[in-house]
Amino acid sequence: MHILPKSGLPRLVEALGEQHELYGPILHEVSGDALFEKLADPAALRLDAPIPYIPPKAAVFPHFEEILHYAYDRDSKKVDIARTDLVRPKALIGVRSCDLTGLACLDRFYLGQEFVDEVYRDHRRRTFIVANTCLGPFPQCFCVCTDSGPYAVEGYDLNLTDLGDHYLVESGSEKGAALAARLGLAPAGADAAGRRDAAVNASIASFDPAARENKAWISRAVNRLTTGFVKNETWEYIGHQCFECGACSYVCPTCSCFNIEDVTPAEGPTGRIRTWDSCSFEGYSRMAGEHNPRRPIEDRRNKRFFCKLSYSQSKKYLRPGCVGCGRCARVCPGDIGLPNVVQYIRRETTGR
Amino acid sequence: MAESPLNAIVTVPAVAEITEIKDEIEEVRTFYFSFDHPELERSFRARSGQFIMCTVFGAGEFAVSLPFSPENDRRHLSVRRVGKVTDGLHALRPGDKIGIRGPFGNGFPFDAIKGRNMVVIAGGIGLIPLRSTLVHALQHRADFGRIILLYGARSSRDLMYLSQIEDWRKTEGFEAFLTIDRAEPGWAGEVGFVHTLIEKAKVPVENTVAFVCGPPIMFNANIKELTGRGLKDEFIFSTLERHMKCGIGKCQHCAIGRTLVCTDGPVYTYKQLKTLGEQI
Ligand code: SF4
Ligand code: SF4
Repeated sequence: MHILPKSGLPRLVEALGEQHELYGPILHEVSGDALFEKLADPAALRLDAPIPYIPPKAAVFPHFEEILHYAYDRDSKKVDIARTDLVRPKALIGVRSCDLTGLACLDRFYLGQEFVDEVYRDHRRRTFIVANTCLGPFPQCFCVCTDSGPYAVEGYDLNLTDLGDHYLVESGSEKGAALAARLGLAPAGADAAGRRDAAVNASIASFDPAARENKAWISRAVNRLTTGFVKNETWEYIGHQCFECGACSYVCPTCSCFNIEDVTPAEGPTGRIRTWDSCSFEGYSRMAGEHNPRRPIEDRRNKRFFCKLSYSQSKKYLRPGCVGCGRCARVCPGDIGLPNVVQYIRRETTGR
Repeated sequence: MAESPLNAIVTVPAVAEITEIKDEIEEVRTFYFSFDHPELERSFRARSGQFIMCTVFGAGEFAVSLPFSPENDRRHLSVRRVGKVTDGLHALRPGDKIGIRGPFGNGFPFDAIKGRNMVVIAGGIGLIPLRSTLVHALQHRADFGRIILLYGARSSRDLMYLSQIEDWRKTEGFEAFLTIDRAEPGWAGEVGFVHTLIEKAKVPVENTVAFVCGPPIMFNANIKELTGRGLKDEFIFSTLERHMKCGIGKCQHCAIGRTLVCTDGPVYTYKQLKTLGEQI
């Protein structure tokens, strides 16, 4: 463990900037919203910014990405086809614990199953992560219920915990340790771990009691949903609340569905484009010839909650698929963010 | 970080040439192909029942079950025109190139069913993904008891692979029953829905496995008939088609129940299908 004086943060950022594109939280100059973006100006980095609107997953699983391109000349029968490799090393600075856990879910899903997603792998191979401990929750947060915060225990290269006039720096990888050594950071004193734990405990204590109470209910929802005990009426109610806008999928740190389309511009090669997709969209499971096996919205809607909470999906993530960031609750116009869905499942049994 | 362990083409399609095109039935054509790369042409292996992702350059990519058997069978795809990408494929001519990723999916469990009677029940183009079960069984005649094909379509013009079925009849002990929905002049086969052939063919229940594929109504009628006669759910197999984008279990478009058709399927037992709780 090391100490980084707050005045030394720009040095850390600058060192990372030598070999990486820099990404981190900023505050939008007009709206004031927190965004996690490529830093045009490293000085704009705000580690104290609230949880960003779109999670950092967008840096390693871009909303829109060309994965390969080809040109086929029918006269000569010649095909030129190649991966589009625009992936440059990226440093994600100031990743909060929920979002870091989200990346762990994506890693296990994209890299840890039968097949490896090579596009995602190429992003992740070239990612440096600086995590950031949350000293207190934002109104939407319930990571304490989903075992994903407010302090990260793994998955980072460096982790920063704000301890007043300095950050406590922990390294979680060889890359991270090498950078700490290169910057010549001072070793932390013997009391550092104790002070960090006090800060983390104070953070946990300041979560809304309702968020903490929900904890037991999330595991019970996992159970009821996995064993098929959630009533059809409940799914229908949830389904009818859904506007099919897809916002929940876009803001969720663990939503990973994508669509692929070959797009031919007026000139030049065809690009194979991969974009984010959402199971709430009507066209999501439609097959050529218009047969749609998952038609009613309640079918598509409960798919999302199976993904986040069912045991079978948890096996792919090695944990539940919800990391408690609360984003879906904030954006959903139908008021069926994940915490509310857990409430509905709870009401089914308790009547309140 | 990990690599995909299997000998499959995962991301960038391999280029293949269409060597011959055959019209099968209305809107369905068979495309014979070979890989441009000689090494791949030699080493490409797919299990019966797997599928590939086929790129039609400029139009896009689609998932298609492999109709051919890994041994002594020409590589080909039989594809119905249903939309933009398959339209694009149908517009191609011999000598044109396509792209291929795969093979993906689980395939048929031949080892587990050795020694049993095999009944293949297909409706219309449902015979395409089941073709390789017959080729395999006939090539390994001694591994199976009775080998029975029950095949039906709306009219005689909607029956696939008719000349091949005639060839297969030359294999000793292969029984094929063909039916069409309504009588036609000159038609010598049966008339009526496919499931009525189960009785006519005296399909055994003991020591039997059935492979069933076709439109939902046909599928359900046959399942009802087979299970009604006592064939167990775990001895009935089917293969599913779904909207797919990646083929490798990532895009999640083909999720059915708690499984993904691309990596957990496309071959399922009826016992599994029943628990998936979604429309098949
Ligand atoms: S389901 Fe909602 S609260 Fe859970 S991780 Fe996704 S966006 Fe966050
Ligand atoms: S944000 Fe809400 S309304 Fe929009 S798709 Fe998701 S669940 Fe439906």
